[in-house]
Amino acid sequence: MRLMSTKKRRTMRGGAIAVTVTAAMVLVGCEGAPSTPVSSAAAGGEPAAVGTVAPNSLKGTTLTFVSYGGIYQDGQMKAGVTPFGAESGAKILQDGPTDNAKLKAQVMSGNVSWDVFDTTNVFTAQQCEKLFLPLDKSIVDTSKIPKGAITDKCSVPAMGYGLILVYNTKKYGANPPTGWADFYDTAKFPGKRAIEGSGDVTAGTLETALLADGVSADHMYPLDIKRALKKMSTIRDDTVFWTTGAQAQQFIESGQVDMALMWNGRAYSGVKNGAPFAPVWNQWMPEADTIAVPKGVKDPAASFALINYYLGAQQQAKLTELTSYSPVNVDSKPKMDDLLKSFLTSAPERSADVFKLDISWWAQHRDDIVSAYTSWLAG
Amino acid sequence: MAVVNVRKRSTDMGPDLIRTRRLESWSRLGLLAPAAALLLGVFLIPLGVMLWYTFTDPNPGLENLTWYLGDPVQRNVLLRTFTTAITVTAACVVLGYPYAYAMVAAGPRLRAVLTLLVLVPFWTSLMVRTFAWIILLQDKGPVQAALSALGFGHVALIRTNLGVVIGMSQIMLPFFVLPLYAVMSNIDRRLVLASSSLGARPVTSFRRVWLPLSLPGVGAGALIVFISSLGFYVTPALLGSPNDSLISQQIFTQVNSLLLWGRGGAMGVVLLGITLVILGVLMASARILTGRQDERVE
Repeated sequence: MRLMSTKKRRTMRGGAIAVTVTAAMVLVGCEGAPSTPVSSAAAGGEPAAVGTVAPNSLKGTTLTFVSYGGIYQDGQMKAGVTPFGAESGAKILQDGPTDNAKLKAQVMSGNVSWDVFDTTNVFTAQQCEKLFLPLDKSIVDTSKIPKGAITDKCSVPAMGYGLILVYNTKKYGANPPTGWADFYDTAKFPGKRAIEGSGDVTAGTLETALLADGVSADHMYPLDIKRALKKMSTIRDDTVFWTTGAQAQQFIESGQVDMALMWNGRAYSGVKNGAPFAPVWNQWMPEADTIAVPKGVKDPAASFALINYYLGAQQQAKLTELTSYSPVNVDSKPKMDDLLKSFLTSAPERSADVFKLDISWWAQHRDDIVSAYTSWLAG
Repeated sequence: MAVVNVRKRSTDMGPDLIRTRRLESWSRLGLLAPAAALLLGVFLIPLGVMLWYTFTDPNPGLENLTWYLGDPVQRNVLLRTFTTAITVTAACVVLGYPYAYAMVAAGPRLRAVLTLLVLVPFWTSLMVRTFAWIILLQDKGPVQAALSALGFGHVALIRTNLGVVIGMSQIMLPFFVLPLYAVMSNIDRRLVLASSSLGARPVTSFRRVWLPLSLPGVGAGALIVFISSLGFYVTPALLGSPNDSLISQQIFTQVNSLLLWGRGGAMGVVLLGITLVILGVLMASARILTGRQDERVE
């Protein structure tokens, strides 16, 4: 620098100023675009603070929030979505249940009425930039989301849960199963099993069979789908299939099965209702719903503002208290009893036991997996 | 016969009469218009879209059909769908025929009770009835308890094809009984009396007189039951196991989970095609049968 002539230095500075001015103009230009004034206002200035929205910044906007219905969607509405409407002034509608085919139809026809969409993490990863907009990080503050919980560029987790092994404590008593190998061993642990029976199976299901078959966690991917299904066939005669979480819960409550591979929240509800079941956390599968903004929504910035508000620490704590799903904000401090603690995936001791699930591999091979699993089920 | 008579008469008609006839037929078409518009909008156009997807999504050609027909699991499911529909139809015939006969033969008060017994489930939501069947058929449920009390041991009902057939048969039964009852109540019962006065035993007069006259009702009822059973979704999904899934559940997976609409379309096209062929064969054979009957009567 010292060797440079004054003239040259001046020119450089001039260039820098020009660049800055241009950048500012571009920014101003963006601010002038129809959707973005909302963004800076809605996010409460930049950078966006998670869990906040500028009061009354979205008057006149209507947003439709779509999720899976039931206790879950009620909890989401109460914890995050309805308060967002009250603070921002946006009119909030809700719809459901989540229907990926309907969403595709809306995006294809260019007539999108679902502004914020809750679906599976595998689906948003597979359809990122096809059906979903990339996450606008100038509006959504992702800094408080637990490490590794973001699985694609278009979504944030809506909550956390797990696919876990639960067993009947009365049946197995002093000698309970301790891992996936035991789940797939009907000689050592006789009894009925429950496994998910929808083709669009929860990520991690095939991994449990491969872990039981001796594949090490480090060499899991690419998944050997055939081998997994072969292993699952060995317990097929002792297996009943659930197609909804409610059904899995009913299986353990009515004592129709002795072990289940099921979602932790449903297992918790079953145990709360008196089912004598306990969880095994050894190599549990971390799962999450994701929320994303479909392509073609009228006001993407407003949709992202809702997501940013939804991710707030208090909102997430309330969601957990209402639904028994784990919060996706590291500062969340939900009130919970010991039973819920024993079933929650966000308890600190869980991280040591978790299996490292590769959601992007599932997303890339989703069609093959669903086809293979559907055929296996129907075969 | 009636059609032939009209045609013969129309040749003798004067021009005025022909004009009125024409006007009548135009106004008849007008009466059809709302239904035709509805059919076009909510049936024919979507059907066309489905066909379009079948042959264009994701690439133009026959790949969806070749995938479907080449997949042994899918062929199994298709076969299972047809055998389930046939079994349900047979169950409805076996249970419904005596029931409809009892309705015709009963006195007015008993008939009212019998009719009500058919109609109340008919008016109850399909979902409600399916959930009721889940409770009845589940493991350790009342039906199983009764069976094991009778010494049958553990009979798996829920999550089996048997459970699906039981539930579907009950749900479809009114669709069989009601048209059959309508046909039976129009049979002139003096014909049965006449046959017995001519020396026919009860079995013979049933076989030679009552049964042939009631067959159109059996045909109509069985057809409704069979066709509806092919497309059942909720009941097999809830009472059955993914092991025994039927074609509608497989279509759901392709359309809703995989978003492969071309494949879903191909499955629909094949189902529709086979159904149309079966319908054609049945109608042709029915025409031959009734033709033979007419000859016999003449």
